[in-house]
Amino acid sequence: MLAVGADRPGIVAAVTGALSEAGANLDDTSMSILHGHFAIAMVVAGPEGLDVAAALAPVAERLDLTVDVRPIPEGTPPTPDGERWSLAVYGADRPGLVAAVTAVVADTGVNVVDLTTRLIGVPTRPVYAMQLELAVPDGVDAAQMKERLAAVAADLGIDCTLTPADADLL
Amino acid sequence: MTVLPVVQLPEPVLKRRAAEVGGITDEVRRLCSDLVETMRASPACVGLAAPQVGVSLRVFCVDVTGHNKAVSCHGTVVLVDPEVLAAGPGATAREGCMSVPDLTGDVTRATELVIRGCTPEGAERVLSVDAFEARAVLHELDHLDGLLFLDRVTSGRLFPRKVYR
Repeated sequence: MLAVGADRPGIVAAVTGALSEAGANLDDTSMSILHGHFAIAMVVAGPEGLDVAAALAPVAERLDLTVDVRPIPEGTPPTPDGERWSLAVYGADRPGLVAAVTAVVADTGVNVVDLTTRLIGVPTRPVYAMQLELAVPDGVDAAQMKERLAAVAADLGIDCTLTPADADLL
Repeated sequence: MTVLPVVQLPEPVLKRRAAEVGGITDEVRRLCSDLVETMRASPACVGLAAPQVGVSLRVFCVDVTGHNKAVSCHGTVVLVDPEVLAAGPGATAREGCMSVPDLTGDVTRATELVIRGCTPEGAERVLSVDAFEARAVLHELDHLDGLLFLDRVTSGRLFPRKVYR
């Protein structure tokens, strides 16, 4: 389920309240403010016949949210496995930054697990900052990806740092 | 020595403050050796606290031998009724936990630490640990206070955990 609308207090409470009343259960969710708009992406499980769109219709109307609901096939794997790496990218804003960086990631066979980008700085000197969480599958060479990212970063005049994000199991 | 089952959330024992042991008995010594055995049985696991095996007592073990982030390394450390005497500056790193399935998160912890506790043999032991060994000790000490790394994640972000094979 995807929902987006101009940010205001109470969006999360209203959306999750309506889902709860309809008997739905929340699975993974991601919610954040994107330039004044609150964006919700969530996986919802519920009883047979649950109509998520209908359950959310009154809330969507009241809060002026755009809602999109689509089914997820049973057995979809939750996240791709692989060594975790963090990729930090930032530099003067220009069109095509995300595309150029993620093209290298995709071409190496690496999965993006999480990606956040922010446009920061003053309007006359905008800076683009991007933080990626990557899953590098077995057999894929992270060092090779690092080299190619360095080349792209040099081309675009941006900073690009790839660091292992392996968690220690304590 | 026995490999014990590791309990996971939402097991209530993980969220309770564990009780002081008081004195070393055969039962406590058995718990200590079982903890070490259980830690060694799990790949990539460098520490374990008694509440993680369902025992609400203030006992933990760590062993960071061979870990690439370790600076100080005291081999297998088992302490009963441990306490922190001094803690130095903090650093942030990503942690996962045997008792928290699927997730990891970035946690800031002291990088220099002096701790005191009782060994399974009944002797007082004071240890100065740093870097990764300090992180491992603090993670286990948190377990004794009913705290999980989830309680300490400051970035507001949780990440899916790699599958350890």
